[in-house]
Amino acid sequence: MSNENQPVIKCEAVYKIFGDEAKKIIDAQSSDVVNIEELNQAGCIVGVNNASFEVHKGEMLVVMGLSGSGKSTLLRCISRLTDVTCGKVLIDGEDLLAMNEKELIELRRSKMGMVFQSFALLPHKTVLENIAFPLQVKGVNIQDSIKRAQEMIELVSLQGREHSFPRQLSGGQQQRVGIARSLAVEPDIWFLDEPFSALDPLIRKEMQDEFLRIQAVLKKTILFVTHDFDEALRLADRIAIMKEGVIEQLDTPANIVLNPATPYVRKFTQEVPREKVLRVESVMEEVGKLKASELSTLRVSKDAIIETIAEAVLSESKPVPVIDDTDKMIGILNCSTIIHMLFGDKSAENTLSKTS
Amino acid sequence: MKFLSRKLFVTLLGAFFLSASHLALAKDSKEPIVIPTHNWSSQIVMAYVIGGIFESMGNRVDYKSADSQAVYESVRTGDITLSHEVWQSAFGKSFYNAMEKGGLIDVGNHEALTLEDLGVPKHVIDANLCPGLPDWEALKQQKCVDAFKTADSGNKGRILEGPQTWHGDLIPNRIKALGLADKYVVKFAGSADALWAELASAKKDGRGILMFNWTPNFTDADGFSFIKFPPYYDGCRIADGGDEACGSPDGWLKKAAYYKMPRKWPAAYTTFSKLSFNTTQIGQMAALVDIDKMSHKDAAKKWLADNKKVWQPWTKK
Amino acid sequence: MQIKTITENTKLVQVIGLFIVFFALYVLIEPSADNILWRIPEISFGEGSFSFWAVPAIINDSIDYMMFEWMPVQIYDSEIEDYDTSTLLKEVTRGFSGFIEFLINLIRELILGGVKTIVAFTSWDFISDNEWANWPALPWTVVLAGAFIIGYALGGKGLAFFAGISTAYTAIFGQWEPAMETLSFVLIAAPLSFIFGLVLGILAYKNRTIEILLNPLLNVAQTMPHFSYLVPIVVLFGIGDQAGAIATIIFATPPMVRLTLLGLKKISPEIVEAGMMSGCTNRQLLFKVLIPSARRDILIGVNQVIMQCLAMAVIASFIGAKGLGFNLLVALNQLRIGQALELGISIVLIAVVLDKLSLAWANKQVDYFADLTFWQKHRYGLMFLVSLVVGSFFAYIGTLIFNDINYLYLIPHSKGITTAPVWQAGIDWVVENWYHSLQTFNHFMIKDILIPMKEAYLGMPVVATFTLMMGIGYIIGGIRSALVVGGFLLFISLTEWWDRALITAYMTTFGVIISTIIGATVGILCAQNAKASRFILIVCDTFQTFPSFIYLIPVIMLFGVTDTSVLLAVIVYATIPATRYTVEGLRNVPVALQEAGSMSGVNRWQRLTKIEIPLAFPHIMLGVNQTVMFSLVMVIFGAFIGTDDLGQLILKALSDEKGIGNGLILGFCVAFIGLAVDHLISKWSHDRKQALGIN
Repeated sequence: MSNENQPVIKCEAVYKIFGDEAKKIIDAQSSDVVNIEELNQAGCIVGVNNASFEVHKGEMLVVMGLSGSGKSTLLRCISRLTDVTCGKVLIDGEDLLAMNEKELIELRRSKMGMVFQSFALLPHKTVLENIAFPLQVKGVNIQDSIKRAQEMIELVSLQGREHSFPRQLSGGQQQRVGIARSLAVEPDIWFLDEPFSALDPLIRKEMQDEFLRIQAVLKKTILFVTHDFDEALRLADRIAIMKEGVIEQLDTPANIVLNPATPYVRKFTQEVPREKVLRVESVMEEVGKLKASELSTLRVSKDAIIETIAEAVLSESKPVPVIDDTDKMIGILNCSTIIHMLFGDKSAENTLSKTS
Repeated sequence: MKFLSRKLFVTLLGAFFLSASHLALAKDSKEPIVIPTHNWSSQIVMAYVIGGIFESMGNRVDYKSADSQAVYESVRTGDITLSHEVWQSAFGKSFYNAMEKGGLIDVGNHEALTLEDLGVPKHVIDANLCPGLPDWEALKQQKCVDAFKTADSGNKGRILEGPQTWHGDLIPNRIKALGLADKYVVKFAGSADALWAELASAKKDGRGILMFNWTPNFTDADGFSFIKFPPYYDGCRIADGGDEACGSPDGWLKKAAYYKMPRKWPAAYTTFSKLSFNTTQIGQMAALVDIDKMSHKDAAKKWLADNKKVWQPWTKK
Repeated sequence: MQIKTITENTKLVQVIGLFIVFFALYVLIEPSADNILWRIPEISFGEGSFSFWAVPAIINDSIDYMMFEWMPVQIYDSEIEDYDTSTLLKEVTRGFSGFIEFLINLIRELILGGVKTIVAFTSWDFISDNEWANWPALPWTVVLAGAFIIGYALGGKGLAFFAGISTAYTAIFGQWEPAMETLSFVLIAAPLSFIFGLVLGILAYKNRTIEILLNPLLNVAQTMPHFSYLVPIVVLFGIGDQAGAIATIIFATPPMVRLTLLGLKKISPEIVEAGMMSGCTNRQLLFKVLIPSARRDILIGVNQVIMQCLAMAVIASFIGAKGLGFNLLVALNQLRIGQALELGISIVLIAVVLDKLSLAWANKQVDYFADLTFWQKHRYGLMFLVSLVVGSFFAYIGTLIFNDINYLYLIPHSKGITTAPVWQAGIDWVVENWYHSLQTFNHFMIKDILIPMKEAYLGMPVVATFTLMMGIGYIIGGIRSALVVGGFLLFISLTEWWDRALITAYMTTFGVIISTIIGATVGILCAQNAKASRFILIVCDTFQTFPSFIYLIPVIMLFGVTDTSVLLAVIVYATIPATRYTVEGLRNVPVALQEAGSMSGVNRWQRLTKIEIPLAFPHIMLGVNQTVMFSLVMVIFGAFIGTDDLGQLILKALSDEKGIGNGLILGFCVAFIGLAVDHLISKWSHDRKQALGIN
């Protein structure tokens, strides 16, 4: 069934329309494209409007949108917490919507994990029991499930709080439990619904780091929902920006920042500091005829975010070589480029847009 | 356990077996005979006395507490096997209602005659609060009206009647017929408890009280005088075309049983139909509890032990 | 701001207008039997073939038909070796009774011994032929040890001693048998109510239609006086412990349903989703996620179930339940108030012990890491075995020491120590010394307040009553509320008992006014201090389970068979919710608002009157709502003292020919009075809370 290139998640023209009559109206419509106008007139509310995209193995897709944009609905369509009105959702090539109750439960037990905004911990269970819960539901015996939960507690650094109840933990700690729980069954697909939105800014930053650290180890396929554009930029491989149920743009962070597809997307990107988003690759220059001796001994990766290497590059007098995954030099980075970016004027921005 | 031992058959199937098993029974069923207990002493002690008699014959007995009005419905459906104190005026109506519906049989009367009427406790006579009592004419005096006044009776004397359930508007009608209506009002108490509470309070305080009561009852021991109304005659009751200007007749005290009792417990039934207590005996039973402060069970044991000559003959065939 | 003043003024104008119309109608309408504006006469349809007044008789006939004629079946009675005609429905209901009775007897005989459980599996003949087939009673010392061990296992030393001492109390005060009879009855009725309540609550949560259908049923079941459904239960289920248990279940299930539903509705949707994403099947979702997440409310439900079950202990004995309740009634009939009081305390103790044990059980945690030895794993079982052996040994010793009653085995009823003479003397003293001084008060109450008030109520033309109540409904909740209230009144007015209902209403109104004044005052005073608040709430709990029959007698001794007595009993009982809700309301005023008040420089008194009371007011009004319900219950109970309202007829229906129908319809009348008031107050309180932004 599955092969390497097959997307883990694939959505084809997914609609979610709320309203008792929605299904009837759509079935009555003749064209392939759903006529939203008609539905709105009938008093239906559009949650997701014609969403199509793929997420590949190990990739993190962040769905960004303000409240009411349909991002959480989209997530719930893909986890089938809510039923799609029409369209297709494929998980590892299998039709999610065609699954019966039993298959769906099996899928969730083996392949899916989800983290919630309000943590959604079971109030009557301890930290340990909460984490072991998905395993016990699956039928793993108590000893093994508790052992596994103990490992997860170490993963999220909650040692010592095993027997606390959720109400005795801080928000950050609760979400660590939520993360541990969602990972306990070793899912392939990891859904995160605004996991850090309810946390204080400082804790949020800490949790994002923690999240990146965990992801670096586990390399899950991730669908991450947030209303925080900075968070999206910081974490995403690709970002889908949603408005009123429609995906306005779906692209890499750099491309979204550099080439916003709609005015709506531009509003988000305007204030974003470039160095926090762009990677070395998008601003490097060609190697040209420079000799090895004219280059710095420092090497930077093409995937590095500029902000993280800026200080090092600026302390070098010579251009810094940019290397790819195989240590091959593919370009150079000049101090001047960095300076323009950090303290830049209009011209720097222009230069940048050209290079990309 | 009825639900385990009883078997359901459809009528048709049943007909096949019917012919074989129509034999007269000689022995009592081992199933317990269910005797009701109500909330007054003589009745409870008598329940244990009758239970004791049955047990001495080798029967099993079970006691169930029941409301004294609702009990006839239960006897009728067999949830309770018998009822041993059916007071004519208080429960006569419930008894006949149940009998009319079927399932309940009349097992005859006790020797004791009952009297249920208005009266005054001993201290009212002793203190001469209403000179001339127990003759009813005395009630016409203003002194008597004053003696029986209460907070809610206006300027009239108050007559405390039992619950209206017991005999409807009998007393108010009588008061009217005797021309006492402008001097007395009738107040219905809600329960026997309310009667006794008022009686006890009046006695402690030494004030007058004119109330409904009956005999045999535990109040007999402290002394209670019934008012002598014009004697009862046939046709005096409004229902019989009269004007109600008469006192109560002596009433019967009946025994009732579930219609299957004679077949299921033939020996016990024979005993129950012979069984008959007189006023003194019932008074003794109540006094053991109310005066001597014994428990009901102990009182029954003591009575049975002291009165073997009375009850043992009933158990012989 | 201006708009607000105007709308508020419109309300005021409406209220004034309403009262003017009401009094105009009151004065203008002639009281005469023919005047339909004065009283609605019997209405017949189709040339007198059907009349609303005949409904009770119709209900009666239908139940009689269903029970005794519909679908006859032949039953073989092996005892008399003959066939007997019964009906399907009767066999079904009696089968159910038999099942409940079996369960009650099982628990009862485990403690007190007996043969009925064995009979259920064999026969009476078997028992008679085999002398050994008789389950022995446990020595009370063993049950005491059992209570102690269970208390210790669930809640530690404190609970162990409490459970132990309570058990010892019942034994030493000579109430062992009735207390264990009541216990066995409650141990069946309470779990069944819990299960029914939980199942119905879950169904209502899952299915909106069921919720909508269930709601009026619950309302009626909660407001209907218990007496009105005793006769139907006796007809359907017979008489005995099982009938008492069924009546109790009907009474105790509704709060459980409501609290289950409330708790489930409060669960955040994300928790449900978390459960689904963890791969829960429907069953797992229900038992592992939904129910545990709603546990706070469900546990309050359990508490209510236990309290209600024991509150029914006395009433259940009217239809044959054995135990403390029956003994209490007998004691009261003999005016042994001290003894009744001790029995009442036993009832309260059983309630509190069961409540605390169930709570502790629900809060129990599992220790996954403990490496337990054999002794540790089975220590409670082993401890019980040891106490069984020791207790039996003592019971044996007892047979050697005592020749009459073995005090170390079973202490028979009323053979223990007693404090009754002290109470008795106290009551005698009060009656002897206070009676005369109280009569002045009694005269004043009856002549100057109660009789005029009663006459004012009875003087209301039916149209005026409708106008007033529906008008209030309209002002509070618009046309819908007016129609709801009007519907309830219409039902009552179509029966032949409108005047009776007015008397019930008069007594309830009076009870509510006084109870609210007392309750609010006590509540406000106690709410000023955390300790006092806790204390008064415990007092409220105790009084709620304490059988109200007990104070009927002393009240009659002091005030006679009068409305004063009834109303005093009503006030004692109905003050409980008024006090409780006032304390809760005031204690729950958000701290931020209190602080804001303090910062704007109000003094203690201003803070109370300007901030706390207005904010707590909607909650206090819910307390008033409960006060209305409690008052109604006690006014109906007042029939035992002597009243001439609906309650008297309900009591009378127990022995009536048309008892079932009359009882039910009268019960509905009482329920509808309660529901009309409930509708108005809850609607007002709900809107007000929303306006204030508090939940």
